Amino acid sequence: MLTWSNFLSQLFNGLAQGALLALISSGLTIIYGTLGVLNLAHGAMFMLGGYAGYLAFQATGSFVIAVIAGALFMLVVGVVMERVVIRHFYARPHEDQLLVTFGLSIVFVELVRFFFSSDSKTVPAPAALSGITSLGVMFYPTYRLAVVGIVAVALLVLFIVLYKTRLGMIVRAGIEDAVMVDSLGIDVYRVFMVVFGIGAMAAGFAGIVNAPVVSLSPDMGEAILVQTFVVVVIGGVGSFPGAVIGGLIAGEIISLTSMVNPGYAYVMLFAAMTLVLLVRPRGLFGARGRE
Amino acid sequence: MQDRKSGSFIDGRRRFIRTGIGVAGGLALPAGFVSEAVAADQPPIGTWPAGVSGNSVFIGISVPRTGTYAVQGEDELKGYQLAIEHINAGHPLIKQISPKTTKGVLGKELKYGVADSAAKPNDAIQAQQRFITENKAIMITGGTSSAVAVALNKLAQREKVLFVCGISGSNDTTGKDCVRYGVRQNFYGETAANAIGPALLKAYGKNKKAAFMTPDYTYGHTVTKSVNDFLTKNGGWQMVTNQVSPLGAPDFSSYLTNIANSGAEFLINVNWGHDAVLSTQQAKQFGLLPKMKLVIPYQIPFLAREVGAETTEGVFAATDFWWTLQDRYPLAKMFVEEFEKKYSYKPEWGAENAYMEFALWAEAVEHAGTFYPPDVIKSYESPRKLNSVVGEVQWRSADHQLIRPVVIVKGKAPKDMKNKEDYWEVVEVVPGAGLMQKPDAFGCNLGSYT
Amino acid sequence: MFSRRPVLVEIVTAAVLIAVPFVLPALDAAPNTVNRILVWGLFGIGFDILFGYTGLLSFGQSAFYGTGGFVAAYLLTRAGFPYVVLALVIGMVAAAAVGYLIGLLALRRTGIYFAMITVAIAEIFFFVEFNPLSEWTGGENGLPGVPTPRFDLGFATLNFSSGWSLYPFLAFCFFVGIVIALRIVRSPVGVILTAIRENPLRAAAVGHNVQAYKLTAFVIAAAYAGFAGGLLGVLQGFMPPDAFMFETSGQLIMQTAIGGRGTLFGPLVGAGVWLFLQDFLQATLKLGAAWKLVLGLVFVLLVCFLRQGIIGGIRDLIALSRGKVQAPAEPAQEAAPVAAAPVAPMASRHAAGEGRQGPILQATGLTKRYGGVVANEGIDFTVQHGELRGIIGPNGAGKTTFFKMLTCEVPPSSGSIVFEGRDITGMSIIDVCQLGLTKSYQVNQLFNRLTVRENLTIAALAELRGKFKLDLFGRLANIAGLEEQVEHTLQLVNLGARTDTPVSQLAYGEKRRLEIGLALASSPSLLLLDEPLAGMSPRERVETVRLLKSIAQGRTMIVIDHDMDALFELAERITVLQEGRVLVEGTPDEIKGNALVQDAYLGGVHEEELA
Repeated sequence: MLTWSNFLSQLFNGLAQGALLALISSGLTIIYGTLGVLNLAHGAMFMLGGYAGYLAFQATGSFVIAVIAGALFMLVVGVVMERVVIRHFYARPHEDQLLVTFGLSIVFVELVRFFFSSDSKTVPAPAALSGITSLGVMFYPTYRLAVVGIVAVALLVLFIVLYKTRLGMIVRAGIEDAVMVDSLGIDVYRVFMVVFGIGAMAAGFAGIVNAPVVSLSPDMGEAILVQTFVVVVIGGVGSFPGAVIGGLIAGEIISLTSMVNPGYAYVMLFAAMTLVLLVRPRGLFGARGRE
Repeated sequence: MQDRKSGSFIDGRRRFIRTGIGVAGGLALPAGFVSEAVAADQPPIGTWPAGVSGNSVFIGISVPRTGTYAVQGEDELKGYQLAIEHINAGHPLIKQISPKTTKGVLGKELKYGVADSAAKPNDAIQAQQRFITENKAIMITGGTSSAVAVALNKLAQREKVLFVCGISGSNDTTGKDCVRYGVRQNFYGETAANAIGPALLKAYGKNKKAAFMTPDYTYGHTVTKSVNDFLTKNGGWQMVTNQVSPLGAPDFSSYLTNIANSGAEFLINVNWGHDAVLSTQQAKQFGLLPKMKLVIPYQIPFLAREVGAETTEGVFAATDFWWTLQDRYPLAKMFVEEFEKKYSYKPEWGAENAYMEFALWAEAVEHAGTFYPPDVIKSYESPRKLNSVVGEVQWRSADHQLIRPVVIVKGKAPKDMKNKEDYWEVVEVVPGAGLMQKPDAFGCNLGSYT
Repeated sequence: MFSRRPVLVEIVTAAVLIAVPFVLPALDAAPNTVNRILVWGLFGIGFDILFGYTGLLSFGQSAFYGTGGFVAAYLLTRAGFPYVVLALVIGMVAAAAVGYLIGLLALRRTGIYFAMITVAIAEIFFFVEFNPLSEWTGGENGLPGVPTPRFDLGFATLNFSSGWSLYPFLAFCFFVGIVIALRIVRSPVGVILTAIRENPLRAAAVGHNVQAYKLTAFVIAAAYAGFAGGLLGVLQGFMPPDAFMFETSGQLIMQTAIGGRGTLFGPLVGAGVWLFLQDFLQATLKLGAAWKLVLGLVFVLLVCFLRQGIIGGIRDLIALSRGKVQAPAEPAQEAAPVAAAPVAPMASRHAAGEGRQGPILQATGLTKRYGGVVANEGIDFTVQHGELRGIIGPNGAGKTTFFKMLTCEVPPSSGSIVFEGRDITGMSIIDVCQLGLTKSYQVNQLFNRLTVRENLTIAALAELRGKFKLDLFGRLANIAGLEEQVEHTLQLVNLGARTDTPVSQLAYGEKRRLEIGLALASSPSLLLLDEPLAGMSPRERVETVRLLKSIAQGRTMIVIDHDMDALFELAERITVLQEGRVLVEGTPDEIKGNALVQDAYLGGVHEEELA
């Protein structure tokens, strides 16, 4: 229904969803930008981070530890995955890379299903952040508000790493031209490993932070993956600001379409992606020539 | 159309067998395809008599063990397993429902196979097709999703194997998608609406605004329609919004935001299984509950346990069974005791539904005296009163729906719970006959017997 | 690819299909499983043509599977259409039509973006099936009550119901499907599809309308998917909405990769493995839901180690046991010394031949800017018929960019090009090649996994058939002049001894010769050569110069190179480029002594020059 209050509420909803998407998509975009590999297992990584955090929470009862555990676990997973599998695929055609990451995503999902069964697991929000906040126009779960804040901080940290550190500079150079970075004597494979790890960590962090909102299930990564594609396409491949802006735009497309008919929300998203791919394939911030 | 098709189907099949020649010429048909001793007057049909030639018969069961309805599926499976155990042993409870039972069904032991349908019609069909062709299942059952039920209805009619419907809330299962080879025990959209409607009007009055949450498939749409029709016609209620969500949706925030802004006073949640749990939990997180009153027109087993009694307090729901009925019906008491003895928790209506329909099937077969499908079906269709855990019931021959009461329950406050499973209080047991639509109102056209 | 015993595969397939119902029941195989394998196998044939042969990885096949299936199911259930086979065909046509429209959109991008669009397509179709079109498709319920086929033949009625009785019908459909696919793959179109997979850039550069062929493959895949979808409905008596799910596409891709892509039978083998493991792991090993984990691991391992899947692995094993080493060997050193017997010049088929006079090519004011960088500025350039022109210039002079503009690989920022009196500015590289202007590349652009003969055939096909011809059922042997043209080119570039060697096993010099040969096989009237001598040893240079001289007869050539000795020997006139502009033009002698040229190369130091 199209009323002002609904509009504002959904706008806000979109911000919350968009923030999460922005974080996950940043991970995907720097991986694709630097390594040239479209990581189809990215959604599964989001899911794995959530479960790792869940385990940590079961063991310690502390949400903060759960978040840290989830993020660190995914950093390790990302690094290992790059070294053991992805590294051998750089020389192989794109299709093979897609196939192997696709296969890995299935393996991850089924591993989790095997150990945890398909029932959803809940991680409760930390007490300090639970409850409802009144926003004037609407009531909003406090934790979802907190997620926006947490994600904003995470994105800020990522920004600082990428733009204010030496490592970040190398990574951004690698996104531009990995061969050149290699020629300059920098171990580009180590950079790839780090980038993959960071990308995975971003997804995993998002996974555990999001757990109190929607509860964990093995299949939760699949829907997220497709939405992340859309964000990366809209924002531009390899662009961190693109992922952030793209994420927010995607979140708003979903929530504003929901005002009219929630069933169409995801279709609108895909339609938007197809449109961008046909009209301006490099997206909002992407570099030309990456098509 | 169905008549003609299935008739010519069998004709062709008979001719096919008689000529004994397939297209490839001289195809040696694998064992089981050609029937054994063919009675002069009863040619083979479906898996009969091949499936009953030994001293056991096979039942094909498909329940969701993964996915949105997994929790309810496991509960349903336990009901089946208890029923099969009781039937094979000739347990007194079974004998109350099916007096002619001695041990097993017509003296044959029941064996069964279980497959995971994940609430997907395709998976259920694949599994049951295998049970039919490999194991010669003489009866197939199971399911919690109406989409699965409708699909299995059609499979049953095509394969000429009886399908005893599991849980199915859609009007269509014994409505426009009914089949001669399908029967349904539990309550459904129309009866739920007609039972809970008066209770709601009595408790809350007229001219209220309601927001509906509907899962996007046959069950959701028919239940929402039945409930809304009743409330608008009889109480002047208004549906201010209907938020339709896909099965398995993880995040209801968009729908809930729309509802929050709709001016609704009541939240009528038709979602089922895990969707119901999530949507209710998130409704609470968004502050919609308890500001709005929650109504569950088609109750979900274990909902109260998963969302917590504080949320279900004061909530009206319509259901097939609740364990406190043991105080009213002696058979219910027996059933609850036996179930709790075996599984250490009190049964919800999924288990009860499974047990009931199994027991009634045993009764129908014993009454017919044979496994021959058309005779079993005619046994179902012969009007007679039957015993059950909810008192006296009877099958309606026109659409194969059991005429049985609908139980209206109301959520108890946590402080009023006498034990940790005492979530609901039975408000009313509404007799079934007055709740059902006219037999042909939903376009039911049973197919042929053979 | 070019099978010497083409009918063998068909016969073996038929034999196996007929034997199955006698053999498999003894092995306890379920007829329904076998039937499903056949349906997946048929679905996969089209996908293999798209992915295995053309190299387009689409995640959206479920959209066409579902479309065909639901159109057929709708006709047979709600609409009461009585003829099953006809309904299946209509479903197939509907799917192909949808495939055509979607292909027009999706194929505008390549590689990963193409894959992403197909993912979006799959999701959109699933949603549309569920919601807006649920009146027709039954939404979540799907369409139940799909009948099985029966044929009234007068003297008998053939009724295919279910289980083994439905098998003959499905096996027949599969057989027909595979026979058609084998014909397509062996046809000229099939050859061109593999070229597109190997090197789409070059496929276009030799004159094939790559977009149109891709679309053809896409539509073929959609048609197979649509027919298979209809069969699924018949098989189950019910058309499920999961046909549209993304998982269906994913399962198809995995099965194809497991079985072996580019083999046509790969999807069938993969489906067999998948469905067998699903049953076996669940029922026998009681693994429950973990069967999918095992399959996922198998899939990943196969992708990592057996690139051609199971069939490829078996093929390698057989070859290994026969003693042939199949792994890409070290490129052989050039065996025999190059003894080029003078070969008669190949007549160039295009309008120009010997005897034409006047300019064959005239470029005016040709300029190319990339953002702020000016690669070429205001170049005026004319070449006469029959001339052998050389172009030299220091690095960064814009020579390659100039060539790219001439062949219309990149459009000029301003200026015009007239070829044979026709303005070709802004045309596509495909059309320009068809007109008779083509080039050989500085960095080899070959079809790497194909043999030398196959490489040349592809180029020759474009010349003989035009840029697009839909002869899906044609035979290569039936193309007049193909054999001669390929043979002739082989002789010209002296690769007659290596015709059946895959490119990856050639020595560098041989690859360079093939590179030139590819351009030659298009019978150009104007041939551009971009640094043909790059990376060659002195002996190879001598041979190549001799080769260039021999092919120069009867056509016009422009050669870019850094080897000035060679160019001065070859060319009649030389154009010197510097910093994107023409510096000077003249005969080799004039250029040698020109101070400006020396300046350009040496940066202003003339005193050191040696004769």
